[in-house]
Amino acid sequence: MLHIKCPHCGLRSQNEFSYGGDASVKRPELNQEISDKDWDNFVYNRKSLRGKHWELWQHLSGCRQWIKVERDTATHEIFNTLKADEEIS
Amino acid sequence: MNLISPLANIHSKGQFGDYKDKNERELLKISELKNLLIIQIVQYKNSQVSLENISIDNLNFNNEPLKVTSNSDTRILWNGPKNWLLVSSKKDLINNLLNVCNESDFAVTDLSHSKAIIELEGKNTREVLKKGCPFNFNTLEKNNSINSTYNGIAFTIDMLDTNPEKVRLFTLRSFGESFYHSITDASLEFGFKTI
Repeated sequence: MLHIKCPHCGLRSQNEFSYGGDASVKRPELNQEISDKDWDNFVYNRKSLRGKHWELWQHLSGCRQWIKVERDTATHEIFNTLKADEEIS
Repeated sequence: MNLISPLANIHSKGQFGDYKDKNERELLKISELKNLLIIQIVQYKNSQVSLENISIDNLNFNNEPLKVTSNSDTRILWNGPKNWLLVSSKKDLINNLLNVCNESDFAVTDLSHSKAIIELEGKNTREVLKKGCPFNFNTLEKNNSINSTYNGIAFTIDMLDTNPEKVRLFTLRSFGESFYHSITDASLEFGFKTI
């Protein structure tokens, strides 16, 4: 069983969490012209990385907060977790 | 208006499971709690109000994870950052709460009729919980509360006491009957008495 350390609640089973996608995607600036390609990249296009990767997860059956998780997509090892408003260093 | 409790159709009094040749005191005790005030309180993200100045039934909101602040009537469970569940036998506490928690800073929601509550007491309480919930119950202490899942059903545990072990389990009213079956099925091997 995979365990994720929620920055709010502590170590919990992955059953309590819901995957929320790539945490490295940045929304384009508001009120600025944006090309269709950039918008497509923001909405649809994702890299399918093998290795360490920052992801968004929601602690759905716990504190219901969104968090960032650094996970190896090949081994599922989890290296780091952050609150949603904390910057990835 | 008559209120129908969430478990009215399935909770019947008696002894079940492996209860024969056992001292009645050793059996798990399962009961349904009714008529409690349950309020969800959420402080808005942009609110600047200090929690130290807010007191309900002489209890403060504690922003420390998993902690419950309590007195004999009221318990305030930490449910997440700036998010609490107030459970009280004082039904008129909501008026006090609405005066204390300004609506520009807090969202106050009455959940009294939307929860099924089961109280579980006995030395095998943790074993029953371990059967369906992935949480490490060795770390759960008196006056702790957690949200988790039991056989896939989202629920909240409030650890009332550790000697003897006594917990309150809250789940959505609509999941109440399924949840009750999960808990009673898990309790069969220990023998249990419903009150």
